[in-house]
Parts: sequence; structure tokens; C-alpha cells
Amino acid sequence: MKPLVAVVRFPGSNCEYETARALDACGLHGRIYNWNELDEASGRGCSAWVLPGGFSFQDRVRAGAVAARERIMDLVFRDAQAGKPVLGICNGAQILLESGLVPGWNPGSVQGCLAGNLAPGRTGYLSGWVFMKPVGAGAGKCPWLMDLDGAPVPAPIAHAEGRFVFRDEDMAGASELAVLRYCTPEGEEAAGWPHNPNGSALAAAGVMNTRGNILAMMPHPERALHLFHVPPNLPGPWGEARRTRGAVGTPGPGASFFTGLARYLEVP
Amino acid sequence: MDDTIGKALEREIAERKLAMTLDEARRLHGLFGRMPTPLEFHLFDIMWSEHCSYKSSRKLLKGLPVRASQVVIGPGEDAGVVRFCTHDGVDYDLVVAHESHNHPSQVLPVEGAATGVGGIVRDVYCMGADVIGSLDLLRFGDPLGPSGERCRGIARGVVEGIWRYGNALGVPNLGGDTEFHPGYDDNCLVNVVALGIARHDRVVHSFVPPEAGSEPYVFILAGKPTDDTGFGGATFASADLDGEQGMGSVQVADPFLKRILSQANLAALEYLFGTGAPFGFKDLGAGGIACVTSEMAAHGGLGIHVDLDQVPVGIPGLPPEVVACSETQERFGFAVAERFAEGVLDIYNRRFELPRLFPGARAAVIGRFTSEPVYRVTCAGAEAACAPASAITEGVFYDRPAEDPVSSSTDDPGELPCDPGKDVPAMLLSLGGCSRRAVWSYYDSEVRGSTVLRPGEADSCVILPVPGCSVGLAVSGDGNPWYGELDPFLGGAHAVGEAVRNVAAVGAVPLCATDCLNYGNPEEPSVMGQFRRGIEGISEACRHLGFLEPGEPLPIVSGNVSLYNQSSSGGSIPPSPIVAVFGRLDDYGVCCDMILKEPGNLLVLLGPRHREFGGGLFLRAVLGGSGGRVPLFRGPLEAEMARWVIAGVKSRRIVASHDISVGGLALAAAEMVLSSGGPGIRLEIGADPVQLYSETPGYLLEMAPRHVDRLPDHARVIGEITGDGGLSGDGWRVDLAGVRDRWSDMLASVVWREEGV
Repeated sequence: MKPLVAVVRFPGSNCEYETARALDACGLHGRIYNWNELDEASGRGCSAWVLPGGFSFQDRVRAGAVAARERIMDLVFRDAQAGKPVLGICNGAQILLESGLVPGWNPGSVQGCLAGNLAPGRTGYLSGWVFMKPVGAGAGKCPWLMDLDGAPVPAPIAHAEGRFVFRDEDMAGASELAVLRYCTPEGEEAAGWPHNPNGSALAAAGVMNTRGNILAMMPHPERALHLFHVPPNLPGPWGEARRTRGAVGTPGPGASFFTGLARYLEVP
Repeated sequence: MDDTIGKALEREIAERKLAMTLDEARRLHGLFGRMPTPLEFHLFDIMWSEHCSYKSSRKLLKGLPVRASQVVIGPGEDAGVVRFCTHDGVDYDLVVAHESHNHPSQVLPVEGAATGVGGIVRDVYCMGADVIGSLDLLRFGDPLGPSGERCRGIARGVVEGIWRYGNALGVPNLGGDTEFHPGYDDNCLVNVVALGIARHDRVVHSFVPPEAGSEPYVFILAGKPTDDTGFGGATFASADLDGEQGMGSVQVADPFLKRILSQANLAALEYLFGTGAPFGFKDLGAGGIACVTSEMAAHGGLGIHVDLDQVPVGIPGLPPEVVACSETQERFGFAVAERFAEGVLDIYNRRFELPRLFPGARAAVIGRFTSEPVYRVTCAGAEAACAPASAITEGVFYDRPAEDPVSSSTDDPGELPCDPGKDVPAMLLSLGGCSRRAVWSYYDSEVRGSTVLRPGEADSCVILPVPGCSVGLAVSGDGNPWYGELDPFLGGAHAVGEAVRNVAAVGAVPLCATDCLNYGNPEEPSVMGQFRRGIEGISEACRHLGFLEPGEPLPIVSGNVSLYNQSSSGGSIPPSPIVAVFGRLDDYGVCCDMILKEPGNLLVLLGPRHREFGGGLFLRAVLGGSGGRVPLFRGPLEAEMARWVIAGVKSRRIVASHDISVGGLALAAAEMVLSSGGPGIRLEIGADPVQLYSETPGYLLEMAPRHVDRLPDHARVIGEITGDGGLSGDGWRVDLAGVRDRWSDMLASVVWREEGV
């Protein structure tokens, strides 16, 4: 039996199908649960949770704020506290910060946020491919990052509010948890625009909790799952592979986030 | 002569702000044999509007080729349907729709463009399809001209409306195109295309099934509570634009609710197909409840009794004609057997919790189909409308006089200067030649995780419609206003020709097309003449560019006509037929982008160059001129070239491709270099303006030296791929590195940041 990974569809989620397919493609069983299917979601008992991207509850109040208070998040909270892996992608990351699961110094209280993009001369939504890499010793204990080899990983972003922000006094602690950081195609940590596409503190693309089982990331690994997803003009070895190799049936850079989980869950 | 009826009708028209003429009102009075009720006035005003009835255009539209073997449903329903692929034993159809939302976008750009996207995806959803992509064909006024400030604001607002709606809905944006022309200063164009995929055996029709004659069928309204937004929207779309009027007629869109509805719809369709009982499904667009209920009943040969007291409303106390005719967004209607109505209501109201997620949203039974073919609406126990159902949908027709336009296509200027080192940067850094990246950077092109080629990587976007299936879909939308302005026939023909080239360039076989015919006031014979010639141009091109069965055309399967695109100061837009073409790739792994691959490979030119600069970017951006001879449409050659490119991509002999259009061969080559970010191109062409800048259609193709031994007559090697990232020729060189950043950023700089304005 493949481990069951619950993908939560909140009202307004819109990446649930491809996220479930990405899990399926990596030896897991991704299953979509509606926000109100509490009995179904708790009855089966899942091995991990994924909160997919989208615009849950229309980004009312703040992106992720309303979904973070839905009852199904009680189940996520309980499993997360028990150490089960949880991944939030894009709007899912916003929900994890709004629920206080990430950074999780005091689980349940909001200690960071994803604020509006800061980019020179523009506001609002930005889509495009970026590079990121795992940083720091903490990355090694995060199931979602276990399969990353340290090389720059390209993936697309697509968001208007993706800038990680922490209080000044929390920056040192946040630095330990910002295990996924924007970088140049060559792997240098991003100093600013355009490699850090949204002005994120610490050039953070993804932040985990102190225990390392929960990861909140803004780029979309499920949209970089296959080599065919990679733009043919992307700099670096992934773009080169797309230009020169058959793109069909070859894993892309985003697959490692899900294969890492599969390895952690000991999928043969 | 005592004309009390005429005077009373005139009063009604004035007081109710109806768009119908007095003659039409008299006809309506005659139809009823009495003074129509307020609801009847408004209902017929909508049904007889240009937007709904195609009263000026229908006769000419009959000239368009619509039939071909792959067509399942042609023009007439909400969207066109063609056979697409088979996967795991299941047949899938492609569902496509194309509309304009021009007037609302001019008045309220953000809301107008958003509801444009919202409306077109509804047309595809209601065929039972899942929407898998959308594209936008945008025409704005000159952002640097006398109305520049307004044009820039409209351009920014339209793009914002599109991203705010489309991104939240979760439908990938597959590009489209953006053009600027001073003829749109007072009347922008926002054309929207949506495409979806449906199981062939689960395509749903938009009328009540005949079974409703023998067992009770009800009408279910699902979605947003009805309010007064968009009241008069269809008639507004059919009027001249004058200042800021009509703002109240623009609808308010809500992509959040639409996303939930789309998921609930899928569950409801699944449930209804499971019951085995036939049903009908239709979106609510122009004319709201009144139009959807009357059309569903009339097209099924039945009648209906609608009880407005059962309609969930967002504002209490609205008059019946507003509840019945407002164009509140995010609503769908079902015709279902009464015994399964409860099951449908349960999906929307309990499983997807509409009432909790959006105040007042829900699904409710608001009508009952009748075997007597009468359209009847009651409100608070009183009759608000009562008419023969067929009379409502019958419509009115006009045979408007058309005057053949005089082609203003003239001979090109004699001696032309040519300095590629200056000319090419001038074209690249013009509004017609700069990158559209600023627009795409706001769009989510990758949601659904099925996107293979995004805007800017190839001539068409490519997606995978069916997860797990290797068949890919390519789509492109085109239309050159500078050609249409000089020659309405060629404007139409090249809109098809370029879209076909863009689809063929990635290796896809064109399957079908949609069109949106944007013109000025049809009551002017000169405009009707442009319209007629545009249709003739499209038809001519489609007849040549059918690729599936010998002798069959590329079929137009859906479309829209948008007339009265002018300001009341009298300026009509340039004739603007806009065409989208959809193509199929057997294997998405064998599709071709425009990224240069390998220094040492050769560059092949397909298509001879002729002296055709008319409407071209070289004249505009370099010489500051206009006029000239628009490229001829050479149908047989276009077809032959497309076939050769498709075959070359399939056999992997062609490894990069880009079509030649705006700016000619030189601009096409420059775009390939700029998009690639490494390799360059060296051409064996001197400073020859005809070779470099003529817009005669064609292709540039990268091929390995071993593959160029058997080129067709109209192809030849014209250069090679280099490693230096530059563009050069015999005796000239373009500093592309020096313009790359400005080319990429120019649109953002002019339209968004308003720099140097």
C-alpha cells in the first residue's frame, strides 16, 4: 500500500489536482479532501499533509488567514504536532504561517507572515521561474528536502504575497529555519531582485518549523515535476537538459520534494 | 393621424432606456396585441440586441466555413466542440469559445476584463467541459499618443482584471497578443478565448431535453444571489461609447465563487450522468434568468413557468424585470428531472456549502418546464411576462447595405534606406516590436501543471489537456489591425494565416478556429462593407488551410460579432477580425519552440520574400510612414509551408522555429536570439530591405546541416547559428546585447511605470 497523503482543498484552492498527481507520480497516494470532509480525512489516517496553492477564501483578511481557522486545520495541527510531515505550497505556505505552524516557536501563534511582493517598479502578482537551494544543517532533517543535493533547483513562482517577514528579534532564529533560499542559476545566494523575486527576508523561498517536519514554500514544485515543465531557455543544467534530451517521462527539478517524502516514509 | 400607441411606445423606450427602435417596439406591440409588460420590454430589448440576435451580421456570417469531419458542435451553442483524442478507451472533445468584452473594458477596465474572462469560461464549463486554458487578444490605443494617459490606464486595468480573475480561477493563461493602434484610443478591444476538454459522451447541451415533455422537469439556478448588476449589459454592448456612461451596466465578477462553482458543477454533472436521466445545462450571461430560461425552453420545443419569488436575491425589493434580466455573474442553470433536483441542490448547498461561503449564494428550483410552449414569469402572484416561447428566440434581422471598401493598400515607396544596425533596434524598441513580457508576467500560465510551452518560448503555447495522455494542444490568437485598416479582406485572411502558422510552427496540426469580428457601426454601409470583406478573407483562408480531410476547410466552430466599436465622436476602430486557431500534437514530446539549440546548425528560410511593406513595422517604426502594399494571402503556399513545417518538427529535423510576420525576417531572427539567451544568428543577407523587413509570411527554421539536403523549392539556407549571442549579416551587425534589457522591459516602462512619457 502506498502511503496516503492528504491534499486539502479549501474553498478557492486551485492547485489540488496537479499536487495530488505529483504525489502519485513519486510513489505516494495523493488524495484530495474538501475542507469540510473532516470525518473522511480523519477516518483513513494519512501519513502526511499537503496544503496546495490557490486563493483560499478569496484571500479575505490576509492570504491564508481564514483557511488557517477552518476546522480541518485542527487535524493538520494534531498530526503536525505528532511529527507527521506537512508541506504548504504558495497559498498553502500562507496558511501554515497564519496558523502558527511555521516557524512554530510557539505553535498556534502567528510569528511570521508572507507580505506583498517588493519588486522595483511593480506591485501585485508576479509569475516566472526562479532558482533556490537548501541552506544550513537544518535542511537535512526536513523530509521534503531530503532528496535535494544542494544544487540550484529551478521552479516557478506565481504569487502576489510571497515575501517572508519576521520581527527583528526573531531574525536570528528565522535564519536557522529559512532552509530554502533563492539563489542565482549558478547557486550564489540571491542578493536582491531579480533572483530574490519578492524581497523576501533572508532570501527565503521556504521556511520550516523548529522540528523540521513542516515546510512552507512559495515556489511550486508540482509545476516543475517533469522535465517538460522546464522552460527551454532556462539557464543552467535543467534548461540544457530540456533543450537536448527528450522531455517525456523524465523527472524535473521539483520531483525531489516529493521523492524525499517517499524516502522518508520508506516507500520501497 | 392619431398615434397614441406610438407615443406610448416612445415613452417606454425613453423611460426604460431601451435600445430598441420605435419600429422594433411597434413590432413587439403587434406580437403581443397589447402593451408589453416592463419585463417583456426588457427581455425583448435584450434578445433583439445586436449582441444577442446578430441582427446585422447573421446573413453574412453564413459565408463562414463551419463544417468539417471533426466538428461535433459548430456555431450556435455556447461553445464549439471538435473531436480531439482518445485515451484509455475514452474519447475526448475539445470545447472552445471566443467572445469580446470591449465596451465594459473601456468604461471599467478591471471589472470589464475580469467579467470577460468570467463569461467566456462559463460558456465552456456549461458544455460539460473542464476549462484548461484561456487567452486574451488585447487592442489598446496609443499609450504615447494624445489620449495616452487614458490608454495606459486602460491597458493596466485590463491586464489587472485578467490576472485577478484568471489566476484565482485556476485556469492557465496561454498568452494571446497585445497590439497598440491609435484607432483604439476611444474603444479598446478585449477579446477572450477559453478552451476546455470534455468526454465525448458527456458533452451537455444547453436546452431542456425532450424527456421533459413526458416527466416533470424543473429549472435549477445555482450560484451567486441575483442582484441588479449588469442590468442592461447586452444592450450596452450594442451601443456607441460616449464618455463614462454605462458604468452601471458592467457586471461584478467573483473568481473565488466561480472556482467553487466549477468544482461543484463537476460533482453535479457526475451525479446527473450517474442518474441516466437526460438534462440540460447553461450558463447565465447576457439577459440573465430571462434569457437562459426562455432559450432553454424554446430550443427544447417546450415552455416554462418561472417563479421569481423563488430566486435567491442579494438585494430585496428589486422589480421583476431587474431580477429576471440582470446579468449577475457566477450563475449556472440546469434543466433536470424533478426527481433528481434534490440531489443537485444538495451538492451545491450542503457538500460545497455555497450559503456559508458567500452570503446568499445557493442553488434553488425557480422554474418548471411545461409542454405548452409558453414562456411565463410570475412574481408575487402576478404575471410579469407571458409570450409564446419561440417568439422570444426568433429574433429580428436586418439586411444592411454594404459598400465595398476601397483598398487603401498602395504601392510601397520606391527607394528604401536600409541600415540593419539601426533599423532592427528601432523596431525592437517600438510598441509593435517590443517584448510582451510585462503582460505575461502578471499571468499564471502554469496552474494545472500541464503547460509545456509558455508565452515567449514558442509561437504557440502548448498544454496537455488530458493528464497521462501524450496528445498536446497548441493555441494561438492573432489579428493585425494595421493590415485590416489598409485592406479589410487581407486583415481577415492573415488573421487566420498567422494563427495557423503559429500553431504549425510548434508542430501542431490545426484542428479548428474561432473568430471575433470587431467592427464599427453596422448602420454605416462602409463599415458593413469592411465587415463583409473581413468575413470573405477569413473564409478564403479557412478554405485553404484545412489539414485533416482533403477538400475540407479549417472550420470556424464558435465566435462572436462585436459591432458599434467607435466613440460617439465618430471614430470607428480599424477593421479588427481576430482569430484563434487550435492544433493537435500527437506527442507533446515532439513539439518545437523558438529557442536556438546548437551553434553550427543552419537557419532555413521558408517562404520567398516579396516587396510587401504595407502596414508593416519597418514603415512605422523606422521610416515613420504608413500605407504601402499589404502582403498578399497566398493560400496554397501557406498550406504547403505549414505541412512541411509540421512534418519537419515531427521527424525532429526542425529543432527551432519561428514564423515571419511583424517586422519581417530580421525581426523574427532577432526575437529568436533574444529569447534564447546564448546563441546568435549570422545571416548570409546584405542590407537588403526586402529580404530583411518585408512582412511576406514565412518561417525561420533551425536545422542540423545533415537535414537540409532535401529542402522544398520555396526554402533555402540563409545563415547559421553562432555562439556569440548576436545578429549579423553581410556587412552589418546588430548590437542585441545592448537592446535586450530595454526590449524586455519597454512595455513595463511605458505602460506601467510611465517612464519617459
